[in-house]
Amino acid sequence: MGQHYDAIVIGGGHNGLTNAAYLAKAGKKVCVLERRHVLGGAAVTEEIIPGFLFSECSYVVSLLRPEIIRELDLPRHGLEILPLDGTFTPMPSGDYLWRMNDHGRTVREIRRHSRIDAEAYEEFSKMMTPMCRFVKPILSMIPPDPTTLKPKDLKQLHFLLQRFRDLSSDERYTLVQLMTMSAADFLDQWFETDVLKATMSASGIIGTFLGIRSPGTAYVLLHHYMGEIDGAFRSWGFSRGGTGAISNAIAAAAREAGVEIRTKAGVAKILVKNGRVRGVALTSGEELTANVVSSSVDPHLTFEKFLEPNELPGEFLQDVKRYKFRGSSGKVNLALDGLPELKCMPGEGPHLRGAISISPGVEYMERGYDDAKYGHYSRRPYVDMVIPSLTDPSVAPPGKHVMSCFVQYAPYKLAEGSWDEQREAFGDNVIDTLSEYMPNLKKIIVGRQVLTPLDLEREFGLTQGNIFQGELSLEQLFFLRPVPGWAYYKTPVANLYMCGSATHPGGGIMAAPGRIASQVILKNWKRAN
Amino acid sequence: MPLGQKVIVVGGGHNGLIAAFYLAKGGFKPLVLERRGMVGGGAVTEEFHPGFRVSSLAHTLGPLREDIAADLQVEKFDCEILRPDPRMFAPTADGRAILFYDDVHKTAGGIARISAKDGEQYPKFAKALEEVAGVFAQLSLITPPAIDKPTPEDLWNLLKTGRGVRKLGKKRIFDLLRWGPMAAADFAAEFFETELIRAVIAARGIFGTALGPWSAGSTAVLLMRAAADANPVGSAAFVRGGLGKFTNALAEAARAAGAEIRTNAEVAQIRMKDGAVTGVVLADGDEIAAEAVVSGADPKRTFFNLVDATQLDPRFAMRIKNFRMNGTVAKVNLALGDLPAFPALAGTVGPDGFRSALSGRIHIGPEIDYLEKAFDASKYGGYAASPYLEMTIPTILDPALAPEGKHVASVYVQFAPYKLKNGNWETQRKELGQTVMKTLAQYAPNLPSLVEGMQVITPKDLETEYGFTGGHIFHGELALDQIFTMRPVLDWARYKTPIRGLFLCGNGTHPGNGLTGASGANAAKEIIHELR
Repeated sequence: MGQHYDAIVIGGGHNGLTNAAYLAKAGKKVCVLERRHVLGGAAVTEEIIPGFLFSECSYVVSLLRPEIIRELDLPRHGLEILPLDGTFTPMPSGDYLWRMNDHGRTVREIRRHSRIDAEAYEEFSKMMTPMCRFVKPILSMIPPDPTTLKPKDLKQLHFLLQRFRDLSSDERYTLVQLMTMSAADFLDQWFETDVLKATMSASGIIGTFLGIRSPGTAYVLLHHYMGEIDGAFRSWGFSRGGTGAISNAIAAAAREAGVEIRTKAGVAKILVKNGRVRGVALTSGEELTANVVSSSVDPHLTFEKFLEPNELPGEFLQDVKRYKFRGSSGKVNLALDGLPELKCMPGEGPHLRGAISISPGVEYMERGYDDAKYGHYSRRPYVDMVIPSLTDPSVAPPGKHVMSCFVQYAPYKLAEGSWDEQREAFGDNVIDTLSEYMPNLKKIIVGRQVLTPLDLEREFGLTQGNIFQGELSLEQLFFLRPVPGWAYYKTPVANLYMCGSATHPGGGIMAAPGRIASQVILKNWKRAN
Repeated sequence: MPLGQKVIVVGGGHNGLIAAFYLAKGGFKPLVLERRGMVGGGAVTEEFHPGFRVSSLAHTLGPLREDIAADLQVEKFDCEILRPDPRMFAPTADGRAILFYDDVHKTAGGIARISAKDGEQYPKFAKALEEVAGVFAQLSLITPPAIDKPTPEDLWNLLKTGRGVRKLGKKRIFDLLRWGPMAAADFAAEFFETELIRAVIAARGIFGTALGPWSAGSTAVLLMRAAADANPVGSAAFVRGGLGKFTNALAEAARAAGAEIRTNAEVAQIRMKDGAVTGVVLADGDEIAAEAVVSGADPKRTFFNLVDATQLDPRFAMRIKNFRMNGTVAKVNLALGDLPAFPALAGTVGPDGFRSALSGRIHIGPEIDYLEKAFDASKYGGYAASPYLEMTIPTILDPALAPEGKHVASVYVQFAPYKLKNGNWETQRKELGQTVMKTLAQYAPNLPSLVEGMQVITPKDLETEYGFTGGHIFHGELALDQIFTMRPVLDWARYKTPIRGLFLCGNGTHPGNGLTGASGANAAKEIIHELR
């Protein structure tokens, strides 16, 4: 019989590490178990091509909660966020749309395309601020149970209702729309410029298997908008050394608090005895015991792989099976020995330091979705690109660069063939798409890594390749995430908890689930032990 | 406002007529003004080919909400309702078919022949639907509550609804929360494995909307419709003589209650002074003064065509402008020399059963992807080569609509976008008709040879001839952001408008769900309350 811990955390991703750090800070003896040889899960940096450090999966810091940065003192542990300025959208016409952090310049740029939109953009930004303010506290709250009449839950529900009623009529109108509409329909009300609507709506589909015309995507748009609203570029940026550096900073904070972190320690089973968690068995056969097990991996792995069906209520298991992953995106990471030349704005410049978005039009985006609906990757995909080496030279050899390309759509289930057969064709298709805007791209590529949804599943443990551990669709949010009745980080197995992106408030490098889960675990500690 | 006062109702559609009935009962003197030569709006019977008559647009009843049916007692006014059983016949091109009967277990039996698992699931599905539909039925009865200052009645209604919800129990409440925002395709897949059944079930969530089965939120539409009729495939109720007979009966009921109804009386303008209604001006110049005007027309027509828009609060005008109501439906009516033969029936019913099998609604849309692809085309301003069709052959139960031995077929066509990318609906009219015939021929090969006459009603016709702005047959898209307290717009979902004395009673208001009369009846209740 192996070692005993107060708490074992399954998965060394940013949420697992955050969860462990908070538990240890509360004086618990904690062990984090990571299957891979590196920490970070999907927030990881690896040297895939010698000399080139890829942020393999997630590539920008969006919504990392300020309170976590503060409470874990992450800057002291090496976290350094570098600015990511703006989004540059090249257009086939040779024109472009360039939105920058500088609001004034963005408005002037939009005026080039449409005076009306420039004015609307001012209005729009003004309106989004109270929207984000409304949602923010929700990101740090334990979802209430809408089906009970328990005072605690009623209080929270009333709190939400009251906040809604405190909004002005126009704010309510917009909020309701954001919660229910499609990103495209929502933006149609504000803007007329096609490329502007396409680029803005793009953030509404990331990580979902929805099109920009599908209701519910307006919410995801808000979900991603919040980073920008935070103002200080602390929220939208690169982390020096790649996104892995974020995980490493959290890991350092955790270690300092006394957490034991083990890599190459894949979990095979969660051990349960009379409905109570006992510990875990590793793939190596080693067994570790603990009073509490907190799983940061997704519900499919936690409940269908690590547990036996007879250890869970049938109805719960059915809901877990029903939970939608539906990975819809892939990643192409490129090692370059020069900089890409944009047709519409040749030469080096600040436009290369921000995100470059291939989202030339609303119909382009929607057709990309149609391909995916019928089991084919988008023939002309939406691509979100960054060149972190321009801002953080440490990730590439001198004079050379890395380019990270997030690609949607890439459906996990293909109508024909397997992803192993399609991988290179998929990669080529992305390069061809980009080459239409960056003619010199093919010449400067010295190495590439193509990650399909299947790779995300096999290598990073993201079931069906969903980067958020489950779709961010309305029926899987808040008190429905991951499954109805179990959106409170607890599980039907006593002392087994969830702390990953599959729990409220969901994906992105937010670390909020890990933090909220730790609060729940600690609150229940006495009762449980 | 003293009783006995005149209230003008703009538009003689079913909601206008029902509102007039209740207003008359409430002691007012409603005057219904209908632009066309007949009452009925979207529920009319017209001769589209010499000797052939058909329910030109809507071809089956909603059905009428029970309390409304009881109040108006339409059957007293020469309105015989015909209820086919099976309600629906759903064939595939490769010769399989399912018949959906009133009796859930009889239906399940037929389904079991295609999939034993789905046969077992069907009654469970019907039960689940009935449970949650109850809640929506409750909601269709009430005026959406005021968010800021809920009235005692609002609170009481919410309490009642809340009780109804709690009765469902924890699991069902969560189901309700989960299902609402879901795609109808996912919803159907939770219960069934067979594509044909999934498609039939999901279709109810997309009919008449700009949603595909994979569009999130289409399940909410499906559940709203289940509130009117909890049968999984919905209602199939005809009226002898076509739906015009039904709306005529509504008119008679309203007259009997004391309402006055004028046809060929087009309202050109709703007059207002100092933010209050003063009356209407007819197209022929006549002016009629009134302190209250109730518009059965859709919100955009009401506020942008009939009212002087410059007098509207710009915020309100903006919301109405944002109200989405671009239609996706066209209608093709066929005069047939004989009953078309569906080979798929051969394996499904005996020769004697052919006629009755075709007597309800006929669903053409055998797979989820088929429906989704039909929708895809419309997103880009076109229509699919294989559209989603719903056909009825009313002459099977009501032979008098056509000459001896002949038949009429009434076909809903989706998705036909109001705005075409290439050409216009005048040039596309013929092609659309041909597309429909080609599609039907795959299920009833002899149908084209039977066609003696055809009428194609395009989304444009729906706007110009029948007055549906954007050609939207439900007076506005049914979507999560345009229902209940958001229909037509937030803050103005209680049938009142910012213009004193002007009210809405059409499908552009809650619950706005086809031929159920709920909007008209709910509106009348509020109006009477307001005017007294």
